Amino acid sequence: MSDQLTISLNEILFIFTRAGFGVNAPIGVSEDFARSNIWLAENGFDPSLCSIVALDSLDEKKSSLEIEQDNANLSGSSTQYLSALQASVSALDWIKSDQGVSLTITNVDSPLLVVAALGANQVKGWQVSWSDEAGTNFQVNFVDEGKWQIISDGSRAIELSKGATMSLCMLGGTEIALEGELRRLNSIIEKNKILQTGVAVHEHWDAIYAYFSRCLVKSTAESRASGAGAGLVDTD
Amino acid sequence: MPFNAKLDEAMMRRPEQVMRLDRMGSSFQTRLSFMRALIRRMSKEKWQFEKLRQDVDQNGFGVSVYAAHTPVRTYSLVAFTQDIPADMRTDRVIAEVWDATFNLFDGVPTQEDIDYLTNNTPKQEGGRFRPSELSLSRANKSLRLFEHITSTLAEGKQPDIDLVASVGYIMRTTAVYGSGKFGCADRAKIADREECKVSFHMELLTVYLIRWFTIDLVETIAKKRGGDRAVSLEPHIRQFIGVGNSTGLGMAPFLLKHPVLIHNWVTAKETALARVRSLETPIQGSLEAFIESVNQVAQHLKEWRVADEIQSARIEKLEAEVERLGHWCGDEDNLTKPYPWNSIYQFAEDNFSLECQEMVVSLVIEPNGALVDDLADTMFATTVPQFEADMSLVKLKSIVKDCYAWATGIDFSLGESQHHFWYYSEDKLEPRFGSTGVDKGVDQEMPLAIGRDADDLSEQLKTASDDMTVGEFAMQYPEFRHIIRRIQNTALRPYAEVQDNLLGEKMRPLDLLRFKLAFFGASKFDPKSDLWTRISMYQGAPMPDQLADANHDDWAFPIRPKRSA
Repeated sequence: MSDQLTISLNEILFIFTRAGFGVNAPIGVSEDFARSNIWLAENGFDPSLCSIVALDSLDEKKSSLEIEQDNANLSGSSTQYLSALQASVSALDWIKSDQGVSLTITNVDSPLLVVAALGANQVKGWQVSWSDEAGTNFQVNFVDEGKWQIISDGSRAIELSKGATMSLCMLGGTEIALEGELRRLNSIIEKNKILQTGVAVHEHWDAIYAYFSRCLVKSTAESRASGAGAGLVDTD
Repeated sequence: MPFNAKLDEAMMRRPEQVMRLDRMGSSFQTRLSFMRALIRRMSKEKWQFEKLRQDVDQNGFGVSVYAAHTPVRTYSLVAFTQDIPADMRTDRVIAEVWDATFNLFDGVPTQEDIDYLTNNTPKQEGGRFRPSELSLSRANKSLRLFEHITSTLAEGKQPDIDLVASVGYIMRTTAVYGSGKFGCADRAKIADREECKVSFHMELLTVYLIRWFTIDLVETIAKKRGGDRAVSLEPHIRQFIGVGNSTGLGMAPFLLKHPVLIHNWVTAKETALARVRSLETPIQGSLEAFIESVNQVAQHLKEWRVADEIQSARIEKLEAEVERLGHWCGDEDNLTKPYPWNSIYQFAEDNFSLECQEMVVSLVIEPNGALVDDLADTMFATTVPQFEADMSLVKLKSIVKDCYAWATGIDFSLGESQHHFWYYSEDKLEPRFGSTGVDKGVDQEMPLAIGRDADDLSEQLKTASDDMTVGEFAMQYPEFRHIIRRIQNTALRPYAEVQDNLLGEKMRPLDLLRFKLAFFGASKFDPKSDLWTRISMYQGAPMPDQLADANHDDWAFPIRPKRSA
């Protein structure tokens, strides 16, 4: 694989679903993980940047899929990060179930994936904010259909943000306005661009593909012989 | 055309009857099949076809470009042909070289595009493609027919019809990839275009252009060889030449991963059948057309010869049943009563094999285009399956009980019920169908065990409190998230699921392949094992210069042309 590759959204769905499964996430959770990555790609991000953090962390057991809910708080094990793969689906389920107007998620390994899950499911009128291990503050506002904003008080890219307790709240209530660089995005416009160009993925793609490859079964002489088309003599 | 919705609904066949493997594996094309609908669109919209480029040598090796101009845009088939070692010619996904390789290009390719594709298309899965490429495909020659046709045309003669009929095609595709595979355009790029809306229309446009390309290629080589002596194929022979295809396990996962789409396909077909059966009085001339088609089918069956013993026996039985159907229709009393189409269908269902019943479904729909053709435009899906976290567990339990009884009724504790598993091989991601305890890879099983997973969920639900929501349950048991989502999205779509055990010892993937290929419009299924089949596509379909003919839509169950005078 080269340092840069252009892939399709369908390839993201196929590869990322199985990459999640490759680090032992349940297949249904991995499907949501892949949908989140598609949303990131549709918005012009290289999805492998934040996903490799979550996949590596799960694989190295620095993160856990275990999760507990205590009213409006989602948390994992006290000694590990809460995997964004699980945090994102649980947060989304919580919002979709109308359980409240604010939610805290403790110690998430890759916060952008939680944001992406909300975006992929057309959540609007919500704000997500966090302060990560590097001390950078991020705020994401889902303003309207396809329209969202990123505000950051540091230069670190949001895809690289790692290790954070996240606050989710409905806009128009108790949200806090973060001072910092504001980036406005429109998913619909960005998606149309991506459909014309494909999705550029960079140096972490090989590692994502390696996790995906765990779902492939090594070929043997016997399995080759039992594949469709085996033994064919081309006589027609 | 006025419909009696209530009567139509009453005439709909039940999912538990339709979505069974044995019936699915007896499917035939109908006039709603994608190739049929695409040909009608091309004709109606007066698509124009143009050979833009043909740089090939004496042996036909080189690059060619063939364009289809719709009223609003152009699609181009870019074709590369090369000499390959005979021992490397195989239909399998794991092949490395092919006689011909193709892309369907969105627009007209520039020289820069051709240069890019020259370096990628012949490599197929080993190449990388861009959103300008809508599909990727390859084909191998039928060595016998390719050489026979080129040499006879070069000598100024027409090919032997018997040989043409025994093969049916000059080249055989072994894969047609679309929808974002290997970097090609995502379906979302083109899904809003009218000509792309219905499933697989761009892939099947690719195949239609490949058919034209193969015929043009043999004629071109013949001219290069024979000079002024060479002739072109006579139009009726050209029309009888289709494109072959080898289809293996890759189709099966698609079918299982797109339940909403499958529901929409089957609903269209079953609605068409119900509308026809509900007709009290037939459309003028339609019964006569039907009777004529029964005679034509009898001839078609005589020409459908395969080596596979099971399919041969089925065809033999089908021939006898079609003959009996012909006699039954010859009795005026049987067709002069009200609801004659229903009588025909019911007679078939009561007396004939599944293969014949499904043939009759196709035949009764065929002369009723005015009544059913609108349904072809509904055979697509845009739904992204959602997980409904706020659904009550009581409701989920009730859906599982009502809609998945076919799954919970299977005893998965028996070895024979979990005899097989599906997996991807590292060999070019070739899908394979393993046997538990024999093949490696159970841990990497594809999530296609719908029945077993639904049954497992059903068992777990028995222990869960009714007060929970689905979201709370899924947090506790995330391993069920995928099957819950599936069940939630198929609950109101009764034709979404194959209502059989896909892991069972007796399961034949071939049944799934035939079901899907019939929706494509394939004919002459020629099973090579339980895992793969050869077929013909577009055999009998009008060539580009025949699309304006009045009979452009009359190519179901083609029969071989008579010898030229």
